Amino acid sequence: MIVSFPNMGYSWPAFKTLIECMGVKVVLPDPTNREAVKIGVKYSPEFVCFPFKPTLGDFVSAIKKGADTLVMAVDCGPCRFGFYHAVQERILHDMGYKDVRVIPLDQADLLEFKWVKTLFEVTPTKNLFLYTKAVKAVQYFIKKTKYIEDISTAEGLIRCYERNKGDTTRVVKKLLIKLDETNKINELRKFKSVITNEFKKIDIDRSRNPLKVALSGEIHITLEPYDNLDIRRKLGEMGVQLYQNLSVYDWVIHKFHLNFHRKWLEYLARPYMPMDIGGEAIWVIGEYIDRARSGFDGFIHAYPFTCMPEISARTILTNVLYKKYDLPIIFFSFDEHAAESGFRTRLEAFVDLIQGRREKKKHEKETKLEKKLKEPSYEIHGGSLYNSVVQFIQAG
Amino acid sequence: MVQVNEKIHVPKDGKRNSYLGIDVGSVTLKFVLMDNDQRVLSQVFLRNQGSPIDSVKLGMAEMRSQIEKNPELQEYAIRACGTTGSARYLTKAVVGGDLAKTEIIAHAVATQSLYPDVRTILEIGGQDSKIIILRDGIIVDFAMNSVCAAGTGSFLDHQATRLNIPIEDFGDYAVKSKNPASIAGRCTVFAESDMIHKQNAGYSKEDIIAGLCDSLVRNYLNNLSKGKDLEEPIVFQGGVSFNKGIIQAFKKHLDRKITVPKNGLNVLMGALGMAILSREYYINNEIDTVFRGLRMTDIDFRTRTFNCGDCPNNCSIVECSIVENNEVIARWGSRCGKWEVF
Repeated sequence: MIVSFPNMGYSWPAFKTLIECMGVKVVLPDPTNREAVKIGVKYSPEFVCFPFKPTLGDFVSAIKKGADTLVMAVDCGPCRFGFYHAVQERILHDMGYKDVRVIPLDQADLLEFKWVKTLFEVTPTKNLFLYTKAVKAVQYFIKKTKYIEDISTAEGLIRCYERNKGDTTRVVKKLLIKLDETNKINELRKFKSVITNEFKKIDIDRSRNPLKVALSGEIHITLEPYDNLDIRRKLGEMGVQLYQNLSVYDWVIHKFHLNFHRKWLEYLARPYMPMDIGGEAIWVIGEYIDRARSGFDGFIHAYPFTCMPEISARTILTNVLYKKYDLPIIFFSFDEHAAESGFRTRLEAFVDLIQGRREKKKHEKETKLEKKLKEPSYEIHGGSLYNSVVQFIQAG
Repeated sequence: MVQVNEKIHVPKDGKRNSYLGIDVGSVTLKFVLMDNDQRVLSQVFLRNQGSPIDSVKLGMAEMRSQIEKNPELQEYAIRACGTTGSARYLTKAVVGGDLAKTEIIAHAVATQSLYPDVRTILEIGGQDSKIIILRDGIIVDFAMNSVCAAGTGSFLDHQATRLNIPIEDFGDYAVKSKNPASIAGRCTVFAESDMIHKQNAGYSKEDIIAGLCDSLVRNYLNNLSKGKDLEEPIVFQGGVSFNKGIIQAFKKHLDRKITVPKNGLNVLMGALGMAILSREYYINNEIDTVFRGLRMTDIDFRTRTFNCGDCPNNCSIVECSIVENNEVIARWGSRCGKWEVF
């Protein structure tokens, strides 16, 4: 049995560990590319939300590399995501891959431990050692997702300072491969210092004063660089410091009911959206309020074209919250199109807009028209890495 | 928005300063040459000729002939050059521009220089339409059509050809109508079939055109101004602002006063904005321009595309080089940033 799973940005080393620890061979699909999206678009229902299509393409690419069992996350939530695995399995069967199975990895509530069943389902041999294996798998998985979150946090913080364009991207690539190769618990525990040391090697220009922007939205779109036209890299190279709450780790601990930051965001969003309507809608609203209060310069909301929950959130953001909190916001709905010019124009114009606002605010502050603004703070789980990166940027 | 330090360069050649703004849009090409006091010295307005490189060369040749004919203009030297429009990066590489900015910023800057208290800018061009909201001199919000070109100049142009009316007279027909036909504005395909139906049912051209202008404005406002307060003063610009029918429809739908920049400046706003931004750039940074000069018309440029193939992404890379010495002046298109030359 050879197992595979779809791409979602940097998260592949973690999912690979999760399955490899169960003693099963894993094959990785190619990074999402034009070809995969083409296949996905050809065989998917036309009006399905966009992540369905590249993930289907990834499955086909994995099957061609020899995979026969595919794992797809499923959330029995209020939106279409809950049907992904079932529909994708039928489509793959119709395409002629009759022996392929798509196994749902149930993440509706991780404390129900349905995911253990999935892990056992992918392992061919059944014995008592499986339980110890599963504990190890989950331990490694959570550690690795945490480090992936750290890498992407540091990337967002540091890219706008780099002197040689592309340094940060190279470091991230190197670190992900290193993380994938680290499979001993002692080495894994020390991996944080590896991350900080690698990032400290980047030649940075400390005199810059980058804009602070938060990126939020649907999780697959914001994490997968192919789908979002590499928005994180583009913003970084325009000189924007990027903050992103969303990550696989953040999601997983949320599903273990341990993510108090998300609970806080839900509390903030409660007056505008009383319940979880799927996607990331409720947390996007909460995060917008949170970021506006901590003095950010801008907010980017990215979601797949035709995503119902995110569109509902968008309307609340523009019509109610923008007028109240006055944090500039831009929306990007992503689909299969690869034409970047319109996207780039809007992104650049947005950066110019927030730059202009900042200068005006500065001017007002100097002339004492406005009270002193609160400095942005970012003290979410894993603050120690954030602090060391910020110290590095400030002082070296 | 434009801030100029009191740090004035002392040019060596004794000529007066001028700044060039280039706006390469989807349908037309605009050049504006501006002096230190924001006075327009010379302007070029052309339809695009196939590739942006060919069009820019043609525009530059036109500007050159204007300058050669006019001895007064020969006293000026171009100190900085800025590009905007959808082909801004390619144009910047080809002409040797100093800066490339988005149309949104360029339009806002130019409009503010003419109307300092402007609060709303409506712009409809060949392929895109935008709304820019300004408050106290800075842009606070903008919207650009993202999914479809319905309600832009190209569509009007196409319909004018189909109705056998010169596009310049389009607005006059619309103004004459007493009873505009109702035409679906959501999508150009529906609008066109609606129009054909109305034509065949015997409606007059005037009524159909007025109905079309009406539906275009409705579509524009529905798509772009979601939840935005369009406050006065409102300035309307872009190629479509020549069309009286559209202006009338805007007045009807918004019930506000609409100003259109005069002397043909309504289509030159992007280029004028770039000239102003170039001036700011030249004065604030003590850098000599990398502008190739008006002689760039003599240089042969070549573009080629190839697929990288080093990873499964297989990005398609665009490369622009000078034929003579094979110097690569620009290359882009890769996702990893490996091939990037700017």
